[in-house]
Amino acid sequence: MIKVRWSVVLAAIGVGAGVARSGAAQQDTAALRDSQPSVAERLEQLDQKVRILARLLELKQDSVAAVAKQQPRVAAGKEGFLIKSADGAYQLKFRAYIQADGRFFPSEAPAAFGFSTLGLRRARPVLDATLWKYFTLRLTPDFGQGRVVLFDAYLDFRPVAQLGLRAGKTKPPIGLERLQSATDLRFVERGLPTNLVPNRDVGLQAVGDLVGGHLSYAVGVFNGVPDLGNGDFDVTNDKDFEARVFAKVGGLGLGIAASTGVEHGTVVASALPIYVTPAQQPMFRYRDSTIANGRRIRFAPQAYWYGGSIGVLGEYYVSEQDVTRATSGSRLTSRGWQVAASWFVTGEKASFTTVSPRHPFDPKKKSWGALEVGARYGELHPDEDAFPTFAVVTNSVTSAKAWGTGITWHLAPAVRFTVNYEWTHFAGGAPTGNRPTENFFVVRIQQAF
Amino acid sequence: MIRHITLGLLVALSVGTTTPALAQKPVTLLNVSYDPTRELYQAYNAAFARYWKEKTGQDVTIRQSHGGSGSQARAVIDGLGADVVTLALAGDVDQISARSGLIPPDWQSRLPHNSTPYTSTIVLLVRKGNPKHIRDWDDLVRPGISVVTPNPKTSGGARWNYLAAWGYALRRPGGDEAKARAFVTSLYGNVPVLDGGARGATTTFVERGIGDVLIAWENEALLAVRELGSGKVEIVMPSITVLAEPPVAVVEKVAKKHGTLAVAQAYLEYLYTDAGQDIAAKHYYRPRLDAVAARFAGQFPKVALFTVAEVFGDWGKVQAKHFADGGLFDQIYQAQAAKP
Repeated sequence: MIKVRWSVVLAAIGVGAGVARSGAAQQDTAALRDSQPSVAERLEQLDQKVRILARLLELKQDSVAAVAKQQPRVAAGKEGFLIKSADGAYQLKFRAYIQADGRFFPSEAPAAFGFSTLGLRRARPVLDATLWKYFTLRLTPDFGQGRVVLFDAYLDFRPVAQLGLRAGKTKPPIGLERLQSATDLRFVERGLPTNLVPNRDVGLQAVGDLVGGHLSYAVGVFNGVPDLGNGDFDVTNDKDFEARVFAKVGGLGLGIAASTGVEHGTVVASALPIYVTPAQQPMFRYRDSTIANGRRIRFAPQAYWYGGSIGVLGEYYVSEQDVTRATSGSRLTSRGWQVAASWFVTGEKASFTTVSPRHPFDPKKKSWGALEVGARYGELHPDEDAFPTFAVVTNSVTSAKAWGTGITWHLAPAVRFTVNYEWTHFAGGAPTGNRPTENFFVVRIQQAF
Repeated sequence: MIRHITLGLLVALSVGTTTPALAQKPVTLLNVSYDPTRELYQAYNAAFARYWKEKTGQDVTIRQSHGGSGSQARAVIDGLGADVVTLALAGDVDQISARSGLIPPDWQSRLPHNSTPYTSTIVLLVRKGNPKHIRDWDDLVRPGISVVTPNPKTSGGARWNYLAAWGYALRRPGGDEAKARAFVTSLYGNVPVLDGGARGATTTFVERGIGDVLIAWENEALLAVRELGSGKVEIVMPSITVLAEPPVAVVEKVAKKHGTLAVAQAYLEYLYTDAGQDIAAKHYYRPRLDAVAARFAGQFPKVALFTVAEVFGDWGKVQAKHFADGGLFDQIYQAQAAKP
C-alpha cells in the first residue's frame, strides 16, 4: 500500500513537474516570439536596407561623376594623345608622324643627279601645349634625313577666332601647298612652284577667321628667308612683310598672298635660293659671289576646289629679287605654277586636310581602306636674264617642266602607302645642253597619329 | 547737304540714347543659390524680369544654379561667375567674402534684416499617419528610428538641422554642451544616408522611401506635403527649433565686371517688396513683411524659435567649432562611422 502510495506521489510529482516545465517553456516561447520582429517587420527592415544600399550607391555614383568632372582627362585617338585639365584651360597634345621613302631613279641618268636610296624623309614629333586657354605653344623638330632641324616653334594667342597673334618659327603665309600639312600632301613631294616661297621663318603675324570662317587672313613681319628657305635667325636688319587672304565657299578656296622686303646678302650668306627638282635634287643655283641686294617681292595667287571625290589644286607664284654680282645688278623674276588633281576611287570625300577612309584597313572585317589616284603638271622658270651673269647654264636649268602621277592607299586617317612617278624635263642645266630628264619613282609609307 | 546728313545723324544718335528700349542691351544674371530654392526663384525670376522690363525697358534673363549651400559657396570662390548669391546661411556668404573678396565684408548691412529677405525653420517630416510616433527631437534618437538629413559639410540646410538639434538639447532642462554632443551623436547614429543637399535628402526620404523621419526646411517640408510627396508624408512641428535666416548678397566684383551691378542690386531689393514677399510665401518661405505674413498666417504655425546668435554666437564661431575640418561634426560622424 505504502509502495502504491509512494508511486502515486512520485507519479503525481513527475506529472506536476512536467506540466510546470511545459508551462514555463510555453511562456518563454511566447516571450521570445514577442521580442522578435515579425516577418513583416523583418521584410520592412530588409527593404529599408536594400533601399539604403541603393541610395548610397546612387550617391556614390553622383560623387564619382562630380569628381570626374574635376579630374584631368586623358585621351588617345586619331588626333594623338591628350592630357586636358577639367576646365579645358590646360592641354597637352602629343602627335607624331614618320614618312619612310624608297626613292629610285630608273633612267640612265648619271648618278650625280640622284642616288636610289631608302630613307626617312620626315620623322617629327608634334607637341601642342595650351596654357590659360588662349595660349598655345607648338614644338615640331624633325629627325628625318639624318639631321635634327626645328621646323615649328611658336606661340599662338587666340582670344577670339577673328584675331590672334602667332609669334615664333612657323610657315610663312604664302604658298598654298606649303601651308598644307606634310601628312596631307597628295604627292610625296610638293610641286615645282613651292621653290618660290619660304619654308619656315621666324616672325610675328596676326591671323584670324572672318565671316564665320569663310575668310581667313594672315599678315606679319618675318626675318625674310630666301625662297624655299628655313631659318632661325636673321643676319641683317632687313625684314619681309607678308600677307595672305583666303576665301572658302563650299569646296572652293581662292586666295592671294604676297610679300615684300629688302634683303642684303653677303658673299658668305648670299640670301639667295637654290631650286630643287621634285626629287629634291638641286637644279638651279646662283653663281658664287652673287648676292641678294635690294627688293624681294613675291606674288602668289592660289586656289583649290574639292567636290565629291575629286580635288584640284592650283598655284602660280612669282618671286622677284634684286641681285648683284661684282658691279652687275638686276631684278630677276622667277615664275612657277602647277595644277594637281586627285580622285578617290573608293568614293571618299576629297579634302585639303586629312581624309578618313570610309572603311579603314581591317582584314578581319574585309575592309581595305581608301584608294586615291592623282596627276599633276608644273613648271618652274628662273629668270632668263640670270644667265650668264648670275647663273651658269651648265649647272643651272633655265626651266623645268614636270609631270607626276600617283596612287595613294589610305589605310587609316594619315596612314598611307603612296607610289609616285614623276618625269621632269629640263632646259639647260648640263655641260652638254639640257639636263637629262629626271625619272623619279618613289614609294612612301606614312604613319601618323 | 553735309549739314543735313550731320543733323540727321545727331538726331538718330539722340533718339538712340534717350530711348531705353533701344539703348539698353539685354542682360543676364546668374543667381547661385542653395538646394531647395529652385521653385521659388523660377517664379521670382519671371516676376522680376517683368518688373524690370516695365521699369527700365531692359530685358533681363536670370540663370539659376542650385546645390548644397557650402558647395555653391566654394564654386563661387573658385570662379563660378555669380552676380548674386542666395544661400542657406550667412556663414557661406562670409566664406566667399573672406576667401575671395568678391563680396564686401559688410554685405549684411546692405539690405534690410541683415540681408535675409525671408526666413524658414527646421521641422520634422514623417510618413503619413506617423507610424513611428515621432513627436519631438527626443524621438529621433530612439533605437530603430531611421533619420534622413543631409551632410553639414556640403549643405546649409543640414547645418541648420544640426544646430536645431544641438540647440534643443542645450535648452532641455539640465542641458549642457556634453549632453548636447551626446544627443547629436546619438541622432547621427540613426542616420543611414548623408545626402549632399536638402533636395537630395528629400528625394531620399520621399521618392526612395528611406527612413522614418526627414529633418527638413519648413519650406521643403511643405513642398513635400503639398506637391512632391502629396498624401505620403506629414509635418511634425517640434517643441522648439531654430529660426533659419537664408541670406542674399550681390557678388559685387563679378557684377561690376559683368556690368550688371544695378540690375543685381535691384533683383535682391525686389525680394523685399510686397510682390517679392508674396512669391516667397507662396513657396513656403516665411515673409518678413507683416502684411504678407498676415495673409499667409495659416500656412506657418507658431513655434518656439531660437536664433543662432542667441545660442551659438556668430557664424564664424559656429563654423570653426562645429563644421570646420576636424570640428565637432567630423568628430561625431567619424566616431559613428567607426562603429561596427
